[in-house]
Amino acid sequence: MSFCLLIEVMNNPWNQLDRRKMLWQVGGGIGGLVLAKMLQRDPVGFASDTVAQVSKTRSYIENDQPRVKRVIQLFMTGGASPMDLFDYKPELERLHGQMLGPKEKPEGFVAPAGAIMKSPFRFAKHGQCDRWVSELFPEQAKLVDEMAFLMAMTTKTNVHGPGTYMMNSGSLLPGFPCMGAWISYALGNLVDNLPTFVVLPDARGLPYNQRGCFSSGFLPAIHQGTMIDAAAKRPVPNLFPDDRYAFAARDADLATSQLLNRLNRDHAEKHPGDSRLDARIASYELAAKMQLSAPEAFDLSRETEQTLSNYGLSQSLTEDFGRRCLLAARLVERGVRFVQVWSGPQGATNNWDNHGNIQTELPPMAASVDRPIAALLRDLKSRGLDSDTLVIWTTEFGRTPFAQGSLGRDHNGGSFVSWLWGAGIKQGVAYGRSDDWGYQAIENKTYCYDLHATILHLLGINHEKLTVRQNGIDRRLTDVHGQVIKEVLA
Amino acid sequence: MVLRIAFQWSVIALLCVVLKDCYADDRVVFFQEQVVPILQKRCYPCHSHHSKMEGGLALDWRSGWEAGGSRGPAIAPSDSENSLLVTAIRHLDSELKMPEQRLPEKEIQILVQWVDQGAFDDRKVQPLGLDPQQALQWWSLKPLSKPNLPAVSRLNPIDCVVLDKLHQVGVEPSPTADRKTLIRRVTYDLTGLPPEPEDLDRFLKDPDARAYENLVDRLLHSDRYGERWARHWLDTIHFAESHGYEHDVGRDNAWRFRDYVIQALNTDLPWQEFVQDQLAADYFHPGDSRRFPALGFLGAGTFDLSTYSTATVTFDYLARDDLVNQTMSAFVSTTANCARCHSHKFDPITQEDYYALQAVFAGVIKGDVAYDADSTTTTERTQLQAILDAAINRDARVLLSESNRTFTELQASQFSQSVHWQPLEYQTYLSDQNTPLTRQPNNVILAGGKAPDKETYTVTATCGLERITAIRLDLHVDETLPGRGPGRAGNGNMHLCEFEVRIFDAENSQPKLVKMASAAADFNQADWGIERAIDGDPQTAWGINPAEGKPHHALFVFDEAIPLKASTHLAITLRQLHGRSHVIGAFSLSATSADTSKLVAFPYEVEQAMKTASQERSNEQWLTLAAHFLSLDARQRMQALPAPAYVYAAGKSVLIPNGYGKTQPASIASPKTIHVLHRGDFDKPRAEIGPGALTVLNHQPPRFTDVSMANEVERRAALANWIVHRDNPLTWRSIVNRVWHYHFGRGLCETPSDFGRMGGLPSHPELIDWLAVWFRDEAKGSLKQLHRLIVTSQTYQQSSAHRPEAEMLDSDNRFMWRQNRQRIDADSYRDFVLAISGNLDLTMGGPSVQYFSQSKGPQSTPVLDYQAYDWSKANSGRRSIYRYVWRGIADPLMEALDFPDLGLLAPQRSFSVSSLQSLALINDRFVLHHSQHMADQIVRSSGDSQDIPLQIHKAVQLAWCRAPTSPELEQMKTLVSTHSLAALCRVLFNSNEFLFID
Repeated sequence: MSFCLLIEVMNNPWNQLDRRKMLWQVGGGIGGLVLAKMLQRDPVGFASDTVAQVSKTRSYIENDQPRVKRVIQLFMTGGASPMDLFDYKPELERLHGQMLGPKEKPEGFVAPAGAIMKSPFRFAKHGQCDRWVSELFPEQAKLVDEMAFLMAMTTKTNVHGPGTYMMNSGSLLPGFPCMGAWISYALGNLVDNLPTFVVLPDARGLPYNQRGCFSSGFLPAIHQGTMIDAAAKRPVPNLFPDDRYAFAARDADLATSQLLNRLNRDHAEKHPGDSRLDARIASYELAAKMQLSAPEAFDLSRETEQTLSNYGLSQSLTEDFGRRCLLAARLVERGVRFVQVWSGPQGATNNWDNHGNIQTELPPMAASVDRPIAALLRDLKSRGLDSDTLVIWTTEFGRTPFAQGSLGRDHNGGSFVSWLWGAGIKQGVAYGRSDDWGYQAIENKTYCYDLHATILHLLGINHEKLTVRQNGIDRRLTDVHGQVIKEVLA
Repeated sequence: MVLRIAFQWSVIALLCVVLKDCYADDRVVFFQEQVVPILQKRCYPCHSHHSKMEGGLALDWRSGWEAGGSRGPAIAPSDSENSLLVTAIRHLDSELKMPEQRLPEKEIQILVQWVDQGAFDDRKVQPLGLDPQQALQWWSLKPLSKPNLPAVSRLNPIDCVVLDKLHQVGVEPSPTADRKTLIRRVTYDLTGLPPEPEDLDRFLKDPDARAYENLVDRLLHSDRYGERWARHWLDTIHFAESHGYEHDVGRDNAWRFRDYVIQALNTDLPWQEFVQDQLAADYFHPGDSRRFPALGFLGAGTFDLSTYSTATVTFDYLARDDLVNQTMSAFVSTTANCARCHSHKFDPITQEDYYALQAVFAGVIKGDVAYDADSTTTTERTQLQAILDAAINRDARVLLSESNRTFTELQASQFSQSVHWQPLEYQTYLSDQNTPLTRQPNNVILAGGKAPDKETYTVTATCGLERITAIRLDLHVDETLPGRGPGRAGNGNMHLCEFEVRIFDAENSQPKLVKMASAAADFNQADWGIERAIDGDPQTAWGINPAEGKPHHALFVFDEAIPLKASTHLAITLRQLHGRSHVIGAFSLSATSADTSKLVAFPYEVEQAMKTASQERSNEQWLTLAAHFLSLDARQRMQALPAPAYVYAAGKSVLIPNGYGKTQPASIASPKTIHVLHRGDFDKPRAEIGPGALTVLNHQPPRFTDVSMANEVERRAALANWIVHRDNPLTWRSIVNRVWHYHFGRGLCETPSDFGRMGGLPSHPELIDWLAVWFRDEAKGSLKQLHRLIVTSQTYQQSSAHRPEAEMLDSDNRFMWRQNRQRIDADSYRDFVLAISGNLDLTMGGPSVQYFSQSKGPQSTPVLDYQAYDWSKANSGRRSIYRYVWRGIADPLMEALDFPDLGLLAPQRSFSVSSLQSLALINDRFVLHHSQHMADQIVRSSGDSQDIPLQIHKAVQLAWCRAPTSPELEQMKTLVSTHSLAALCRVLFNSNEFLFID
């Protein structure tokens, strides 16, 4: 429950609850608005404030009817190689084998730079927009006319930990809220029976920084990503009690909630004026709603064979990522605001950190996501969700045009590629350019700040005004930077 | 060109992107680099806060030109034509020519361009003049003095101030809370636990007028107090037990610091000592093993192992930044790190100050630091180390002291009953490389010709002895060898891979390999010891680097004495297979029949000195002998000392945990040089800077010029002393406000770690000042006295009930007309549940308990499974403070209750309510297990009777400190009779009455 509840009450046409009724339920009249503010920021909740002040805290909303209401972020852990996927560099073929890289090992490179290495994969032009895509992404290649590519993404580190933080929270340091948390904080939820921000990590493990990547940082815990183990029998943690506790079995559970509700209401009556007490009461009601809705959301058995097959659930290579892409579609369909789908765990294998051998390590990774991603985009369209859903494909940095050893590629924050798809996105465009080797972004350099600013903009948020005071600084997702990239907006 | 850019970026300050107010944005860069310098030079002299504001106009912050002066706003953004400032600088209006001397055209263009592009200006806070006198007017920087308190006749000075303010606002204070509320409140507040039923009972019935004060004293004397308040401090300094980041490796020695903090609080260590210990216990109390773990403060924060390994420059700056930030936030409530890229925009902290603070920590790196758990060991280790140092420095005063000279003489005489070495009579000496070998005087065999890559010598010989116990190999120097030898490698080194001795009897032509018991050499290259020449492994060898150019020798002691007949031959093989001509240039062989206990391989100089008669030895020779025997003895005794303990801290020489119990060593020989970095950019180092602190404060010189530059400990000590100085106004205000914050759920200043202009203003500045001076001068830094003063005040003891008429006047209780109701924090929730379910284990200290299962992850970060923990395990009931806190993999239940992300400092806990939190509280296995446990306990203690009302009564009493009302009892009976008492316990653990402290 929460702040989100209020936002929902105010903004969400789907909401079945009458606004006045809900406010009353939550805290009574103005108390409800106060509650919103309190849950949002006050550490101990000194209630009461004026409505004006509450609305002032929402001055970051620049558009009440934003193009985008929900976001799916696909994150390729390890640093997906741009020059082997989307950023075609014929110059590398010409210079292949020459020692032209930096003489000294740059900060964050794992090893000194080797010789220039051409891509071992074939590239071809695709779509009306003539976009180059390598043979590793045959399915996405069919959809390039719907995507907007950011060809000159760049970051400020060559190290996984800080790099992954940066793409998620805009900071190289731990402890800062990630984008999903900021969006949850700013907009609240669309529905109250599912979490606002859901994270679907790779079945093989967590990404770099563990759960730091979906932390709410210094924002209240409610805004952190809810981590779902998609393959587990009970994907939502603590949704139901463990079977071994008989006193918490189904019928007991109901009697328990009823008594709890009654006792808490009596208590609240004897302690008037404290909206936190009411908020907690409401939170159990919402928890019950979630218990009703969540199992259905995670149950794929009602999807058709065709859908399952489109997502690649019948093949072991694509099964895990495919299942999570399908879940992502189902979750946004049911009103989850932000879903993150991770490809690859941390570590030296099974991810996009292909130091050893691009030719053998990259193709299986690429194949594990290509079909599911294409299925996701098509599915969102067929479910009519593309009208207000944004999909972003990201990674923490790119890779070197120089070989590491003789066959791999090292970390390179200088240039990498992201793409955007869906609501509010101009189709078939590309923004920015890297140099002839794909080593450094040189034209329309795009930092995470710009990407984040653009996403917030699509959600109706002015990124410069969405601030939270923390230890003497007004923090923003975009730090002091960020320009909305108008060139990729429809 | 492409590459050039690439290289520059690699060193560009990552720092800048981390914090606010840096300049990657073009507009910011343009404004800061082009516009501001012109404004400063041309306009500030007449239009700024620290000069004058002619015409009421200030151009040193945005609002200055927005509001404008007497003529109205000075700039119309994006419209230079209509901007007074542009009119003035262009001298378009004869009435308004500014400055009088027209600016250079270039500068005018820049300002016009700036205005036309929208006049970006991020100077949003009113500047504080750089004039220190003005700067010191800020509330937290003002010199401390004890204010006269308002004359309200109350005993507790806190109440004097609070009541006076309330009278001014026109609000009456709330009545004192009832005793049940008071004991639950103060027990939670001071110990993090619910009151024991007996204590509750006793207190409710206590007729003593001082019953409450006595209760407070009891609680403050309880060890539970330190366990509760330690967590507050650990939050404040972002202490956790893993690195964070990519390689989120556990720190199995971090707990010693946690135990230090608990101990320091329980023994009421004066605040100033607590500060000093944490920054430099090794300076203030060298060898005090109880204090040493305090240095864990320096290791509290994150450690990015990956950046450490691959991006070292970045790592250094970020690691020091973290320490500066932590130290200044925690002790003096100052956000010094805002001055990393440029002088602080809001507070009087210069960029030089910031880098001077970095220089304080320029000699340490985080990791496990060794110390002696027992202080007597430290004393002994120090003494032994002094001898070793003296031996290295050939310090005659130490080495040849009377007792040491006697010891040396005794040792020398014991060994100098010289062992007779009988030179072998060589019969053949061959090289498998056909190297020409020639026999020299003194039985030396010298290699000639071109040095081969590898070599094996075989010597056959006889010996005149009746039995042999050992063979001696002498390596000789010779002018024909590189660097005089004794080896033939370029530097004179050699590698002896294997040394083998075989025996031939005339009657028996089968050679017999002699088994070696041990080997000794006068000198062993590090990791290339002589034992490697008899280990049977040709990959390993004995080496002598860096002691080439000198004679050396080795002794090979037989496993048992070999009897010799006249016909017996020896065959000795010297395998030298490492290549690059690491072969022997000149050697000789001899044998002995002496008792093996006498066989010691002394270094050449020592052997020579021992051969010289005692009375004929030169002073140098005496020094050589003393250094040898004393350091040999010291090393042996050092090895016999108990193994050191480790605490995860920071120091000049550490072991960095790198996963699954393994570590890697790291050290900083002498403090690194720190430069002021232009715009925080590594690539733009400016002036070098030494250690220091804030220039604006004048209680001590701001730069620590009298510390020895080489000794990093002195730097930390100097900062500690700067902090705890009685006239440092920040330190004392910071701690009293921090303590207040925890007692009331909010500080007198609401930002306990930021007393700058971006922080909150204090509601009762005179109370902070009074408490600060009192705490410093009268309480002498005793936290327990401060707690007592606060919790025995009427202000603290007020009821927390809301009063509509008071809320009309002071809606958020800023003036404290009631106590604040608080939700128990995550740690206390856990401890409360353990306590009332009867599973609380009060064992103190020791390694942290892992409430999860741990298995190997894809890299150094393990996989933690909190769901797999078995709550019926023996140590499952330990208090939350002893929980292993993994930075990047939080405990879901703790996280749901707002346990902070300790990637950052957490001086305040947040409060949240959500459906996910409710699901955690109602379904988490911890809650369910303890619901059952509590029910079982109650049923057992009720004599297993089926008296449900009695059981309910007990459960409610434990959870709520009161009896159930009869309607409550009726409702509960229904649940219990159908679904058991455990179901009720689960309800209680979720009830607001349990979760909130009135």
